Amino acid sequence: MSSWIHVAPLVLLVGGGLFIMLADVFAKERPELATVTSVALGVSGCVSLAALVSGVAPQTPAFLTSYLAVDKMALFFDVVICTGAALSTLLAGGYLREHGYERGEFYVLTLFSAFGAMVLARSVDLLSLFVGLETMSLGVYALVAFRRASARAVEGAMKYFLLGSFAAAILLFGSALLYAATGHTDYAGIAEGIAAGADPRLVLAGMLLVVVGLTFKVSAVPFHMWTPDAYEGAMTPATTFMSVAVKAAAFAVFLRVLVVAFGDPMSMSEASGWPPALAALAALSMVYGNFAAVSQQNIKRMLAYSSIAHAGYVLVGVVAVFRVGDEAISAVLFYLLAYTVSNALALGSLILMGSKGREAVSYDDLRGVGRRHPMAALPFVIGVLSLMGFPPTAGFFGKYYVFNAAVHSGGGMVWLALLGVLSSAVGAYYYLRVIVVMFMKEPEKGQVLAVPMRSGYVVTALSIAGLAVMELGLMPGWFLDLAVQAAQQLVA
Amino acid sequence: MTDLLSQNLLTALLLVPLLGAAVIFFMPRQWPNAIRRVSVGFLAFNFLLSLLLLPEVVELTQQLFHRFPAVGALQVVDYGAPGFQFVSEHVWVESLGISYKVGVDGISLWLVLLTTLLTPIALFASWTGIDTKLKEYALSFLLLEVGMLGAFFALDLFLFYVFWELMLVPMYLIVGVWGGANRVYAAVKFFLYTMVGSVLMLVAILWIVGAYHDLTGAYTFDLALLQDVVLPFDAQLLLFLAFAVAFAIKVPMFPFHTWLPDAHVQAPTGGSVILAAVLLKLGTYGFLRFAMPMFPLASQYAGPTIAAIGLVGIIYGAYCAWVQKDVKKLVAYSSVSHMGFVALGMFAMTPHGINGAILQMVNHGVSTGALFILVGVIYERRHTRDLDEFGGLAKVMPWYALAFIVVAMSSIGLPGTNGFIGEFMIMSGAFLSNGFVGFGQWGGLFALVAATGVILAAVYMLHAVLKMFWGPLSKKENEGLADLTRREWVAVAPLLLLVFWIGLHPTTFLEKSEPAVVGFIDGFKEKWEASDEDDSLRLWHPNLHPRAAAQEETATAQGSASLEGPVALRAGGVR
Repeated sequence: MSSWIHVAPLVLLVGGGLFIMLADVFAKERPELATVTSVALGVSGCVSLAALVSGVAPQTPAFLTSYLAVDKMALFFDVVICTGAALSTLLAGGYLREHGYERGEFYVLTLFSAFGAMVLARSVDLLSLFVGLETMSLGVYALVAFRRASARAVEGAMKYFLLGSFAAAILLFGSALLYAATGHTDYAGIAEGIAAGADPRLVLAGMLLVVVGLTFKVSAVPFHMWTPDAYEGAMTPATTFMSVAVKAAAFAVFLRVLVVAFGDPMSMSEASGWPPALAALAALSMVYGNFAAVSQQNIKRMLAYSSIAHAGYVLVGVVAVFRVGDEAISAVLFYLLAYTVSNALALGSLILMGSKGREAVSYDDLRGVGRRHPMAALPFVIGVLSLMGFPPTAGFFGKYYVFNAAVHSGGGMVWLALLGVLSSAVGAYYYLRVIVVMFMKEPEKGQVLAVPMRSGYVVTALSIAGLAVMELGLMPGWFLDLAVQAAQQLVA
Repeated sequence: MTDLLSQNLLTALLLVPLLGAAVIFFMPRQWPNAIRRVSVGFLAFNFLLSLLLLPEVVELTQQLFHRFPAVGALQVVDYGAPGFQFVSEHVWVESLGISYKVGVDGISLWLVLLTTLLTPIALFASWTGIDTKLKEYALSFLLLEVGMLGAFFALDLFLFYVFWELMLVPMYLIVGVWGGANRVYAAVKFFLYTMVGSVLMLVAILWIVGAYHDLTGAYTFDLALLQDVVLPFDAQLLLFLAFAVAFAIKVPMFPFHTWLPDAHVQAPTGGSVILAAVLLKLGTYGFLRFAMPMFPLASQYAGPTIAAIGLVGIIYGAYCAWVQKDVKKLVAYSSVSHMGFVALGMFAMTPHGINGAILQMVNHGVSTGALFILVGVIYERRHTRDLDEFGGLAKVMPWYALAFIVVAMSSIGLPGTNGFIGEFMIMSGAFLSNGFVGFGQWGGLFALVAATGVILAAVYMLHAVLKMFWGPLSKKENEGLADLTRREWVAVAPLLLLVFWIGLHPTTFLEKSEPAVVGFIDGFKEKWEASDEDDSLRLWHPNLHPRAAAQEETATAQGSASLEGPVALRAGGVR
């Protein structure tokens, strides 16, 4: 029985999705689907959190062992993904109604996509990885295209879908090469195969292709091209979901593959393994993401580029795994949790700023909001300060742990950390700009003002995210310990 | 229970403004006067509370209120004792060794009191100047005080970094929301400059914590523990540079000073006062508290260079001030010049120099704070700060002229005022700085150049005084100007009192900081010698190795007299 508790979250999400599909069709009154969905996600997250805290040694039901891991890291990512998805759903509850897109599919897609993300984060085999990845991605493609009358949404979804399919194919090709080289598709088996002397050229090629496929999902430079368009085209709650849950799941599998399958000395070699390749991607993402975000006028695009930069920061932590192991892994885990709540807070605040017929999208829409609606501006301030990495917020501790791991790795990693903090100082410019327009600029004459919406859903989501940001910033110890435990279990 | 206050005095000093902020937050904005009174009230109360840091005040309170047991339990501390007073420590994040550890010593004591004194004065001075979003303005000041005090109190590097960053947001808002026409540019420039410096410092902090972990297997951010790590010279130099950039931007030292005139000119009066009087001090304080003790060899090596940059700042700031037409900009550049003195005194590494530097930090806070208030007074009446718009003001505003001239004299460093004491000590400290640490044969030259800075200070200040107060009353607008009001007197009077108190009886102030300074130099020397003995931590820079230098001289001179050379050289540092 106890082994089932650890897959209960997955079952709950699928069950919830099916229920909503039926409810949407048969219910006469329009039901509160957002409530149902967010409760399902919230309960799943809480079950995993309880399992994680209780310290009961996680067990996998026997028939799943060869595909899915149920370890502490899986549970930790359940919490991250469910938090991100639940916050997006709550935001959607306000957003969809306000802007007249209220259709049940949104929630179904979110639930199935979150399910895919959780499978992805648990995968211990390239096959289950692919199944999870596609389950997650198909839902997200549809979410981006949800506003099908909008050319931008369709454009974004098209780009995302095409490039995503390429990336999936590349990943699949890499898996095939690895299978050819080692005779295994499960990570542990690949590691055995490599240790037993698989053809290093095939392994290297397979590894790089798999890494590229995953890098696409975390939107690191140079595989980021789809990000700004998809983020801008999607409705803001969907953007929230993409930027937090999808990214977190992709990084989870990144860690698993690198640590379990490619933890051998040759693959981790500083000269020819994944560390230098990922370090280069990290550096590019941080620098390009931050500089490109500076010139954006649309806040969603700005946040898209900032998410590229954040992918770079997380990659710094991923690279550091080759030197400091669990310390770096726990840093990545904590960062993803912090980024999830911070980014949900920032995007949620953007949703709050608009109301029927007029969404707030550009900086100009926010002019003088801080003066007219100070309480609505407050969560945005906390959100951007956290994304900036300003103490005492979640984002600060996240950045701190990641760069801490990098500095402790020594050598060239110190320079990577230095590049990271300097580019994050560039980031301060465009995050500050949000505060500048809200508090220091007045609307131009004749400008149509965006009026903050009134929605219990959005307020609930922002309260949860805001409290989480402050909690993780002031008392990070508790969650950090959970992350450390999860990391140690993965390495052991 | 009884000495609860003494044990948590510093925490209380942080909580009072925070509590004030909470109260203001819930006050309706339709009550501007109530908001003003409550916010200034909280800050003034905090100043009174901070006076309990002084043993004399505690004794006096005990004599006056001996009937109350709580007063009797207050701690009378001795700043002559080594180490920190009023220390309080609580674990924050255990697994990372981060703790909330606060304390004061002779080095930070006067800066803390300067902060608690000037924050209410600054807010009081902008009583009428600010009429929009008053509630947020008051909130910013209260939170700013929390940040500044926290940074002065912090004995844990992580805590210091958090407070150091926390100060940034309120100041940024004060400049950006209530500033002049070009306020957004100035605010963002201020923020980004400081941010770049502080992230470099963060990496350096992480590095030294990692080094400590490698040595001991434990994580800690405790300054006292991290100070014991002796790092190799090249590492020290890099880390010192990272800290030095962060602090030099804040001071600001040439060539990182360009944000300062912008920020000062755009900031409202209260913001300028706090910026000049307290925020800049955090840069020089950071050198004394963190950079120099943690990286003694590097600071010894780089000290003369930084002092030379300070000299450039003295001269360059003075020349820039001379040509300004805007009085506020003039005062801003004079800050660059005066903070150069502080840098010079610190790196002279003599008791006189460092003690003078600490006193000069307080002096600059008092004098420049008062100058900004007085500039704000005339700006409120005339809405201009252009020197050409004034002239002959002494005829219409005699008391204002008197106050301004007194403060200008203290800024120049006229004997009898506070500026004289500080600058004199710094220059004599630099002159005598020829020991094993310090300026070697350059000491005399440095003192000489610094002295020309004093002359230049007289030039630009008297120039401003001349343009503003003497000559004919040429502008019609100036004829009906009202003299200082009672409220403005209340803001300026304590500062005028301090100008003469420090100028005539500096011992009150110096005797508190002196033991800490001597301890500082002894610790510096001890660490220097420790790094010499332990071969695993051997030094690497031949010029910097006293033993190597001694051996070399023994080898060349081959006499007993030659042995005295290095010894005398060493002793010379701590005369």
